[in-house]
Amino acid sequence: MPGPFDYSIWILCILLEASVVVCSLLRRSFRRYFTLNLYMLASLATGVGRYVVLARSGLNSDEYTYFYYYSDAILTICLYFALMGLYSFVLEELGAATYVRTFSMLLLAGTALFSYGVIHQSENRMLTLYVFELSQNLYFVGLVLTYLLWGAVLKLRETRARVIQFILSLGVYFSLYAANYALDNIYPNLNYIWVHLPQLISTLLPIAWCFAFLRFSEDARLAPARLAVIPR
Amino acid sequence: MSRKLAVLFMAMVVLAGAMGLKTIVAGRNNGTVMMANGAGFPPPIRK
Repeated sequence: MPGPFDYSIWILCILLEASVVVCSLLRRSFRRYFTLNLYMLASLATGVGRYVVLARSGLNSDEYTYFYYYSDAILTICLYFALMGLYSFVLEELGAATYVRTFSMLLLAGTALFSYGVIHQSENRMLTLYVFELSQNLYFVGLVLTYLLWGAVLKLRETRARVIQFILSLGVYFSLYAANYALDNIYPNLNYIWVHLPQLISTLLPIAWCFAFLRFSEDARLAPARLAVIPR
Repeated sequence: MSRKLAVLFMAMVVLAGAMGLKTIVAGRNNGTVMMANGAGFPPPIRK
């Protein structure tokens, strides 16, 4: 059962997510970074919704289990679109907006089909299994896409500090979760760590995005030499 | 046409890479799941 520490982290995470949206509004960047804000709003609503369902039905209830996994799938899709929004920013000077949209839709459709292929022989709870599988697969797609985006940032010498901060924090966020998942599989006897660590990790993304909105203006630039030296 | 095919090819490469990574990371899966989004406690896994 979750203790006071778990609840504190939960509340902190919800407050941080709200802070990101508030900072974005204060900096007049809500529309420009709409997909990022959409993800934060969805995450905020999900956090509150999960708390309400948990308080009503309990941790072991079917209601909470279904709500948790379905909301996770929706959030993963929102995170995917946030990532694609960052792709649009990085590639906007190349005029590749149409290709980014096509790519994102094809990849989403491919992931959805692949997920269906994995579970299509299941007869019981097919929709639930599908939602769960899609969420997991889309998560790994997001992880790979984040690293590719970082490669594009280095190659194209992207200098907008705020965009770089968003991408780097997303990379750290995805990587920490993947590492936690892998370590959980390798060292299952340390389960008490791997169960609680994701809650702490979940606070990192809103902290980093909040920092990006507050610390950097839209015009702030980083010198390319500070990112990496790429021989041409 | 070739650009559209390139986009399709890239999407398939990313999907294959991601699923390969998932297979590697979950190679010794003991029933744990990766839930990465937002606040909240993951419900106990039912086997």
